[in-house]
Amino acid sequence: MAPFLLQRSAGLLATLLVASAVIFLVLEVLPGDPALVMLGINADSDTLQALRAEMGLDRPLLERYADWLIDLVQGHLGTSVTYDVPVSDLIGERIAVSLPLALLAILLSTAIAIPVGVVAAAHHGRLLDTTVMGVAQLGVAVPNFWLAILLILVFSVGLRWLPAGGFAGWDAGVGPAMLSLLLPAISLALPQAAILARVTRSSVLEVLREDYVRSARAKGLSQGQALWHHALRNALIPVVTILGLQFSFLLAGTIIIENVFYLPGLGRLLFQAIAQRDLIVVKALVLILAAAVVVVNFLVDLSYALLDPRLRPGVRHG
Amino acid sequence: MSLLCVDDLYVDLPGGVGPVRVLDGVSFDLPAGGALGLVGESGCGKSMTALAVMGLLPEGAKANGRIRLNGHDLLGLPDATLCTIRGRRMAMVFQEPMTALNPVQTIGRQVAEAPRRHLGLSRAAAEERARHLLDRVGLPTMRFPPDLYPHQLSGGQRQRVGIAIALSCDPVLLIADEPTTALDVTIQAQILDLITELSLETGMALLLISHDLGVIAQTTDRMAVMYAGRIAETGPTAAVFGHMAHPYTRALFAAMPQAAETGARLSAIPGQVPAPGRTVPGCHFADRCRHAGQRCRDAPPPALTAVDPDHVVACHFPQARDTVP
Repeated sequence: MAPFLLQRSAGLLATLLVASAVIFLVLEVLPGDPALVMLGINADSDTLQALRAEMGLDRPLLERYADWLIDLVQGHLGTSVTYDVPVSDLIGERIAVSLPLALLAILLSTAIAIPVGVVAAAHHGRLLDTTVMGVAQLGVAVPNFWLAILLILVFSVGLRWLPAGGFAGWDAGVGPAMLSLLLPAISLALPQAAILARVTRSSVLEVLREDYVRSARAKGLSQGQALWHHALRNALIPVVTILGLQFSFLLAGTIIIENVFYLPGLGRLLFQAIAQRDLIVVKALVLILAAAVVVVNFLVDLSYALLDPRLRPGVRHG
Repeated sequence: MSLLCVDDLYVDLPGGVGPVRVLDGVSFDLPAGGALGLVGESGCGKSMTALAVMGLLPEGAKANGRIRLNGHDLLGLPDATLCTIRGRRMAMVFQEPMTALNPVQTIGRQVAEAPRRHLGLSRAAAEERARHLLDRVGLPTMRFPPDLYPHQLSGGQRQRVGIAIALSCDPVLLIADEPTTALDVTIQAQILDLITELSLETGMALLLISHDLGVIAQTTDRMAVMYAGRIAETGPTAAVFGHMAHPYTRALFAAMPQAAETGARLSAIPGQVPAPGRTVPGCHFADRCRHAGQRCRDAPPPALTAVDPDHVVACHFPQARDTVP
């Protein structure tokens, strides 16, 4: 297992390095003069020169990239031009909103999708299956921001159960903080759960046709027991794959959803940073989002090995 | 009284244009401790018979008739009741050892599962039993620890695991559906010997399904030849081999590579097994039979009639003992 982990970790680092190079090039080189972009065309030429010097734009490209990397490794992400605080502080503050939001959304989406998919597969072709899959089809078609507005109308404006937006802050206690994340998490989770439930259903249906499910039945397991004890784990590999892919859509979704709910998270920060041309913040944020996607894919790879012993490194016996 | 008594069994599978009859009045008896071979070409209904006995017919299948185990009719029992019998009183070894085991569970856990469920053993006791069973089927714990996964074993070793699973609760009936077909020739004899040895040792009855007459001759004391969902001929294995009364039995025998003289062309049965669901007024084998007369095409074959004591055949023109095939 150790060489396997080492190999995968090396791959992870290599991917991150490539991602950092791409982000650096795209944001620093392609659009022309970043200092001008940040300050606008009416900027005073002295200010422009000062910012250029501060950003090190007068130095060669490779040197700047190397410096950026070294700073990154040491945790120095630069200073935000608009907020005038270290970018790492900004991100630390915002990640306390976005990370719980993303985790809650993923938790909700899997907690809904897997049981729903399994139940639909167990009732294959019957009314329950058709109904559930019809609802899921609807869920796939609904954009999350529209769902968010609908949820606000029903649960905040109508029933007044949950806040319509804003973040209570962790200082207010876990309860109020989680309550302000609940509607955003549901808006992110439901459309993903719809897709995931469909994947789970078809994967379970496929595995139920396998010989070993019949073997389990021949041992005296009921169809339901054979499904839970023998089919499900085998059916989870495609589900985990889709879950991993959905993570990047989830991150993209937070940019919109955090804006709909006025949540001070990374997505909203990125949106504002782009609007205010705060390229130092944008660069750091994009790298962090890319790193999150790469790390999640790494975890997906590891979970394959956990789910299926055939994908683990090891020796053949016979 | 017989341990397993299949009486006038009909099975219809759902088809495109309506139900398709795959078993057409199958009857046979298997005494406790006996070994019955079901033989026939692919598609003749052998496996469907086994699945019907296990109560594991495909979804939508309809079975009629009687399947009695120890005098209790299994047909029409609710699935929950069948679940207490499957794996406990009757067990099955499947044709494909490569796919019949769950790839994500250790072999020890798969062997221990039925004893935990049926015998109420604790986890530790079931694991101990699994180690003992694996040892008994030729997978000693020293070389084959129970925490191996199926993909770490060869086909023959996996089939041994399948046999250990089937034996795990000391069933009275073992159904082996082509247990050696997917294995290398060198392994086939070992697995057959193991099955025979274990059934003699435990006294369980064996229903062995095979397309290979050699396997049937080696392993069983009674045999039934199936064709197109019906039993064509049945009797003591020695008696049937001594006097093949049905032309189909003779044709099957003649098609065996071992039966042909060295260097001679293998004999093949002309034509094909009729597609299930095709109804003909006469005998299903008539089109492929060189002894068939007009009667065979017009009238259904007679009920099983004795040609020797205890040896019955369903044919208008049963072959006499001395006829050269």
